[in-house]
Amino acid sequence: MGLFRNVAVVGAGMTRFHNRIHAGKTGRDLFVEAVLEAVDSVDKGFELREAEAIFIGNYSSDCFEGQGHTAAMMADWLGLTPRASTRVEDACASSGVAINMATLAIASGAYDLVIVGGFEKMTEKGTEEATEILAMASDALYEVPVGFTFPGLYAAIATAHFKRYGSSWEELAAISIKNHRNGALNEKAHFQSDIMETARRLGERHNMTFKDELEFLRSPLNPFVAYPLRLFDCCPISDGASALVIASSDIAKKYTDTPIYIKGFGQASDTFSLHNREELTELRATRIAASQAYKMAGVSPEDIDLADVHDCFTIAEVLAVEDLGFFPKGQGGKAALEGRTSLDGEMPINPDGGLKAKGHPVGATGAAMAYEMFKQLRGEAGRRQVDDAEIGLTQNVGASGATVVVQVYGR
Amino acid sequence: MEEKPFTTSSYREFLESGKIMANRCRSCGNVHLPPRPICPRCGGRSLEWMEIRGRGTLQAFTVIHVPPTRLKGRQPYATGIVKLEEGPSISGLILDVKRGEDIDIGVEAEAIIVREGDGLKLCFRLV
Ligand SMILES: [Zn+2]
Repeated sequence: MGLFRNVAVVGAGMTRFHNRIHAGKTGRDLFVEAVLEAVDSVDKGFELREAEAIFIGNYSSDCFEGQGHTAAMMADWLGLTPRASTRVEDACASSGVAINMATLAIASGAYDLVIVGGFEKMTEKGTEEATEILAMASDALYEVPVGFTFPGLYAAIATAHFKRYGSSWEELAAISIKNHRNGALNEKAHFQSDIMETARRLGERHNMTFKDELEFLRSPLNPFVAYPLRLFDCCPISDGASALVIASSDIAKKYTDTPIYIKGFGQASDTFSLHNREELTELRATRIAASQAYKMAGVSPEDIDLADVHDCFTIAEVLAVEDLGFFPKGQGGKAALEGRTSLDGEMPINPDGGLKAKGHPVGATGAAMAYEMFKQLRGEAGRRQVDDAEIGLTQNVGASGATVVVQVYGR
Repeated sequence: MEEKPFTTSSYREFLESGKIMANRCRSCGNVHLPPRPICPRCGGRSLEWMEIRGRGTLQAFTVIHVPPTRLKGRQPYATGIVKLEEGPSISGLILDVKRGEDIDIGVEAEAIIVREGDGLKLCFRLV
């Protein structure tokens, strides 16, 4: 499979992801903010009105904000009518898929310049209601009524993975520790303190002291959400938006000397319900989407220098690094425990803090991963910069893996 | 055996009468629970109803401490995936379990159909 012509990212922007600082703002406020930052990031200048179409990932502004038909609304708010504007809904993979759609739209020759991104304003609802809205992305007939929540599905995957491979919760804790450490280096992250700092702060409030991260993570201050997953195994509920300016490679250099090319991409689906999977300890859609992306880019897992993967729950990062081919099955968690996926490790994973620390406004997540690759591959990631980053990968998952989208980026 | 179409409402009607009904692909033998109109393995559309006894083994589980609104007050409760003797797996509430440490994958489970406020629920009791 090849593209009719190549596509590059020439600008990227995102709001900070957070649960409180965007109080009072709406989804449209956040998306406009991200788009304007992306426009202003274009090195040689770019007028928003040069954009010919818009693709927006959004899971459920309908339920979260009572606002549907958000694509047209955003076109209007960006001052871009009468241009075509399209919303993509694939749960937490919405803007990852939107990037593929926008890339295809340019590769086809239909457009030269497109705005693509995503947003979610989630915190207007309380945690329980947000949990209920998120659970709608799993099977409303056969999973939700028998008590499964989003964390619950991944928790069930964790029990199966522990049993089959002898992996452990301590390995999951290592992922949480690493991602919070990375998030502390990212000014756009929801959480910007490492776990020891959080342990000290929470400990003071409860008259408790902790000798290390694990003691804190095993304490009542880190309660179970869905056994065996605890609070610090779960990403937070965040508000935020992200956006990219993408262009055909024919004209990309007109906008920047260092465009970041979308070298390959893939997308796959899987059984909607977890219980219908033949194997519970992997996401088959990740393997398939990745093999498509690797083939199109002409690379293999060994060629990837860094990756942003969908760690909505710590166990999801384990599955991702295994199913993407970075580590053998059963070794994904150990890799984190041994520091191999840390910023200075052989295969840095989630240098931006991942969903765990950076936050997860679901519709914004896929394009925020692309934002990170844009910064990293241009050497603009500041304190979290990965050395010699030339080829990066993003993996964005919808719900419990019924949608997975993978992109490979390169200079 | 039965002439009902392979739809969600047929599945529910069977549950109302106390039966867990799957369907089987006449071309490749694949068994589907819940029943579906097209065989996902071979694409076959020639299907037949098949009753499920409801016995199986626990394949994966969790204990929910942060419930969705509709199950508020019930936590902690266990839910899981059971692989049935007839082949397919299905999700169900696991009754009488409150701690993840008290259960393990591989234990035997038996299905029961429980009527609750918002309808019928497939539940399992560990045996
Ligand atoms: Zn078949």
